[in-house]
Amino acid sequence: MTGSHAFDPERVERVSAALASDGQDPRRSLCVASAGVARVSGAGVVLIMQGRALGTVCASSAVAEAAEDLQFTLGEGPCVDAFSTRAPVLVPDLGADDVVRWPSFREGALAAGIRGAFGFPILIGSVCIGALNLYHERPGALSDEQVADAAVVAHVAGHTVLGWQSVAGVGSLARQLEHLPANRAVVHQATGMISVQASVRVDDAIAVMRAYAFSTNRPITDVATDVVGGTVRFG
Amino acid sequence: MADQQLLVETLVALADTLVDDYDVIDFMQTLAERSVDLLDVSAAGIMLADADGRLRHAACSSEQMRLVELLELQLQEGPCFEAFERQTAVRSGTFEEVASRWPRFAPKAREGGFVAVSAVPLRLRGSALGALNLFSDRPNELDDADLSVVQAMADIATIGMLQERLIHDQSVLTTQLQTALESRIVIEQAKGIVAERNRIDVDEAFQQIRRFTRSANRRLSDTARAIVDGSLTAELVAPGASR
Repeated sequence: MTGSHAFDPERVERVSAALASDGQDPRRSLCVASAGVARVSGAGVVLIMQGRALGTVCASSAVAEAAEDLQFTLGEGPCVDAFSTRAPVLVPDLGADDVVRWPSFREGALAAGIRGAFGFPILIGSVCIGALNLYHERPGALSDEQVADAAVVAHVAGHTVLGWQSVAGVGSLARQLEHLPANRAVVHQATGMISVQASVRVDDAIAVMRAYAFSTNRPITDVATDVVGGTVRFG
Repeated sequence: MADQQLLVETLVALADTLVDDYDVIDFMQTLAERSVDLLDVSAAGIMLADADGRLRHAACSSEQMRLVELLELQLQEGPCFEAFERQTAVRSGTFEEVASRWPRFAPKAREGGFVAVSAVPLRLRGSALGALNLFSDRPNELDDADLSVVQAMADIATIGMLQERLIHDQSVLTTQLQTALESRIVIEQAKGIVAERNRIDVDEAFQQIRRFTRSANRRLSDTARAIVDGSLTAELVAPGASR
């Protein structure tokens, strides 16, 4: 009936216990525990709707954070593919010559010290609400056990986020999700400004900004800050 | 004793209806019809509790009016009501027993041509969702094996129903989460549009949007959405703009 039926209950129980918050910082502990359970260097959880990133829930480390920013800047990477294919995306070595997907993300991720990149869809019933990203600093395939654990981590993380939302009122956002990274707000503000400057729709405005960030080899948040500050204009 | 082959087929049929486009009424209908096939009874009906805990007719093995009525009159008394209230199976194999147990229900059952009845609850971990009622047109004492077959089917039905409710609740939550997240993005975009259009900084733009929202008695996310989709122009949000 739902994806959860495919999971081994013991595995779900074990992962749920590992991902249970220590009460300090529920978002960060979710991601740190996700990386721990999957036995990789870093993890990030992203919420996505209709192919558009709605926000990074968490990143377990500075490197994972950089990788999340990269995917957000470029609009490509394991989370985007895991979301659109609703299946795990496994790239054991971004440095391998035969890796052709995500040319821009690949370059940035390698520069940030990432070799393995893996994406797992977060499904609630039949609806995909986001993705779990796993990063590894050494090249190497995930074992079958790691893949099985990671799929359950994605499942449990999704239900954890829904659990947060279930106590928020209708129309409000879960307390735990309120303070998403501030740099994303700047990107959305800049998107609005560019849409006026270039007389395009907001969806096109973000594409314009992405292209600019890519061609000038800068993080999108830096470009956005300049747009909001008035030092970069489009049209 | 129920036919083994038929039992297996029934369980498979019930499990089949649990996948994908699950419809609770279709599912209850299958359960009612299969119970009749399997247990040598004349008719079967299912009652489900509504939000106030009152039993309502959900499905019948045949659309015979008397059968529906027989279910519906069991608001205070009758096998279905009793199985639901006490969360246990009940059975009465003879009309004498039915009459002594449920004096108001019995004459109506006889009018419908039924002399023996039994019922099992649809329940899971202490909560009852409804009950399945079986009717026979001749004296018929279901044995323990029959009763456990019916209870097994009722349990599958219960799990299916709870699963469906869970999926519904989750999809409501998912939508709320996505809408709330999307609103925040749209509000930031609207700030950018108003800032650029009215040549002010984003903080001031937010103040304008908030003031407009308050005076127009709208919701912030609705104002922002209107600005982003162009149905509300940024100039109109500025103080002193004629509205």
